[in-house]
Amino acid sequence: MSMQMSEADGAMKVAEWQHTYYTSDSGIQSGATTLRDEDETESSRKFSATCTVVESNADMEAQYTLTRAQRVRAAMFPETLVEGETPVAAAQSDAPQQSNVQRLAEPSQLLKTAIVHLINYQDDAELATRAVPELTKLLVDDDQVVVNKAALIVNQLTRKEASRRVLVQSPQMVAAVVRAMQSTGDLETARCAASVLHNLSHQREGLLAIFKSGGIPALVRMLSSPMESVLFYAITTLHNLLLHQEGAKMAVRLADGLQKMVPLLKKSNPKFLAITTDCLQLLSYGNQESKLIILANGGPESLVSIMRSYNYEKLLWTTSRVLKVLSVCPSNKPAIVDAGGMQALGQHLTGPSQRLVQNCLWTLRNLSDAATKQEGLDGLLQVLVSQLSSDDVNMLTCATGILSNLTCNNARNKALVAQSGGVEALIHAVLRAGEKEDVAEPAVCALRHLTSRHPDAELAQNAVRLHYGIPAITKLLGQPHYWPVVKATVGLIRNLALCPANQAALREAGAIPRLVNLLLKAHQDTQRLGSSAQQTYQDGVRMEEIVEGCTGALHILARDPINRGEIASMQTIPLFVQLLYSYVENVKRVSAGVLCELALDKHSAEMIDAEGAAAPLMELLHSPNEGIATYAAAVLFRISEDKSSDYRKRVSVELTHSLFKHDPAAWEMVSQVARM
Amino acid sequence: MNREEAPGKSPEEMYVQQKVRVLLMLKKMGSNLTPSEEAFLRNYAGVVHSQMSQLPQHNIDQGAEDVVMAFSRSETEDRRQ
Repeated sequence: MSMQMSEADGAMKVAEWQHTYYTSDSGIQSGATTLRDEDETESSRKFSATCTVVESNADMEAQYTLTRAQRVRAAMFPETLVEGETPVAAAQSDAPQQSNVQRLAEPSQLLKTAIVHLINYQDDAELATRAVPELTKLLVDDDQVVVNKAALIVNQLTRKEASRRVLVQSPQMVAAVVRAMQSTGDLETARCAASVLHNLSHQREGLLAIFKSGGIPALVRMLSSPMESVLFYAITTLHNLLLHQEGAKMAVRLADGLQKMVPLLKKSNPKFLAITTDCLQLLSYGNQESKLIILANGGPESLVSIMRSYNYEKLLWTTSRVLKVLSVCPSNKPAIVDAGGMQALGQHLTGPSQRLVQNCLWTLRNLSDAATKQEGLDGLLQVLVSQLSSDDVNMLTCATGILSNLTCNNARNKALVAQSGGVEALIHAVLRAGEKEDVAEPAVCALRHLTSRHPDAELAQNAVRLHYGIPAITKLLGQPHYWPVVKATVGLIRNLALCPANQAALREAGAIPRLVNLLLKAHQDTQRLGSSAQQTYQDGVRMEEIVEGCTGALHILARDPINRGEIASMQTIPLFVQLLYSYVENVKRVSAGVLCELALDKHSAEMIDAEGAAAPLMELLHSPNEGIATYAAAVLFRISEDKSSDYRKRVSVELTHSLFKHDPAAWEMVSQVARM
Repeated sequence: MNREEAPGKSPEEMYVQQKVRVLLMLKKMGSNLTPSEEAFLRNYAGVVHSQMSQLPQHNIDQGAEDVVMAFSRSETEDRRQ
């Protein structure tokens, strides 16, 4: 079997190969194809042609040239020998027609098959071991025909497990294949070589061999091939490397693999795209630089286009996973939204694949804070409202979160959600959330959005009461306090109180004492630190925000006369007067506002005056905030009604210097009067 | 400028003008007025009429603004199938 490489041409070399155990036509010359035979018994036929064992001297000599495997086969399984051969064992040759007893005494067919496979396996391994050094040399031959034929043979060897195992243990062989793949100008050679690497990549040793032989940069280069099969082999091999080979991700990134893969998203084969997108996910997960490279190469647009255009579930799933990874990147997020990502992902929320639905939901949730101004989300919003009835906590978490953000400062979305039964659905979500803050907080925030700052806000405020939401919402103020939920609930209660019909229901649900107690607790926490430079955070919420929120809710509740009396009776006036000195402008506004309402009652007006509110209120007349200045003026008017004219004149002078300074025309009018 | 109202305005008249403005602003913000305050506005309807056009057109006190929640703080990985 020695090869005279300097003398034989390609065909000669191949012909020499044929004088081996593979005497059947491998197709190298004839072009006939061979089949994978891992599970077939067809391979047994290959060994039969040369097995001829007779008792003559010539036969004896021939017998000695047989392999051990052939001798075992001839002895044990003569029936596997093809025509032209004779069995060795006399016992078997003397009884061509076996009796039933003899058949029953034989080993089971399964055992025989297993042993035949073992014999073939050993033969394959022996062959490959002998062939590898020679093939390695042929693969780097200057003659491209030689290289091509060698590549074909190696490709066939990789189709059998035994020979494949031998190949992976030869780093020189793998390196030669890699080199042949990237240096050849012949597409067929490149295809064979890529196929070899692909076959080898199904074993751990093969992956390591490819990795160590510089296979990754070569495979990345193959991603530019015009041949579809080369592309397929290259991407699949890279995928296997990314999945199972340590160091592969870094190597692919360094070889500019992302820059080559993203343009491949424009291909039209769904299975190819599924592998490509999975590669992108593996490369970009947890790697900000990779995400930016995908963005720079138009990844978001291509990925969104796939979500819009295909039905193949696995592709949609892998693509949604890439989008989920990109959706946490501040740069990718707006690009995905601008490419229509919200709408495209929303298409798949009602399909049969739960894993796809969940991935789309998580991605939408991540993107939602960047999509508050997007149009064309009507369908998505309606689907999300319907998903609020789900018992799946992940689905609820996502649906409430997305709805909370999409209704933020968007009057159209607020109206649509409210008209689609969103108020009732959100109330039920709050009830089912229990202590799950990831559901409760966004659900309450969404209700808060629906109940303010749009033309149908009052309808939503009424709807909360009509769907028995007020007791459930008020309960959220109780212990244990999860402050983000408390903060959102206080804001919602403030909005609900804007509807006069809700005032009694809120009172009956015990909202007022809960709010007052929360206010006292939060205020005490802020006072403990004693400095405006330090802020008290609990669960990420500043206690100043709780003070502001509770006071703001009590301000609106105080519009109702009975509620007003209840608030005043809880000894809150001294605290509200103290809050007029807060360094937080919003706290000044809401405390001036609640005092303004309380001062409607004469008795409360006297208490406010007795607490020394006039001094801070006079200061607040000069506030640049129109609301603060108006409330302060109103309280001063109300507490000065029974005062002397000098007192009222002083108030008037202060008002003149402050109230009209934002109103140039009115100030001019008053100034002219003063000059006359 | 409306000079017809300007000349010879006494402090009392200025007080009336200021109070009318404050009460109108309160109504605009949704607050309640006392019965005497409502009567006050009825008594000084002329001043009310002149002040109405001076009021700011935008909403003044609508409570806390809507705020988005930032969910995309960290990636979550699901089990590879």
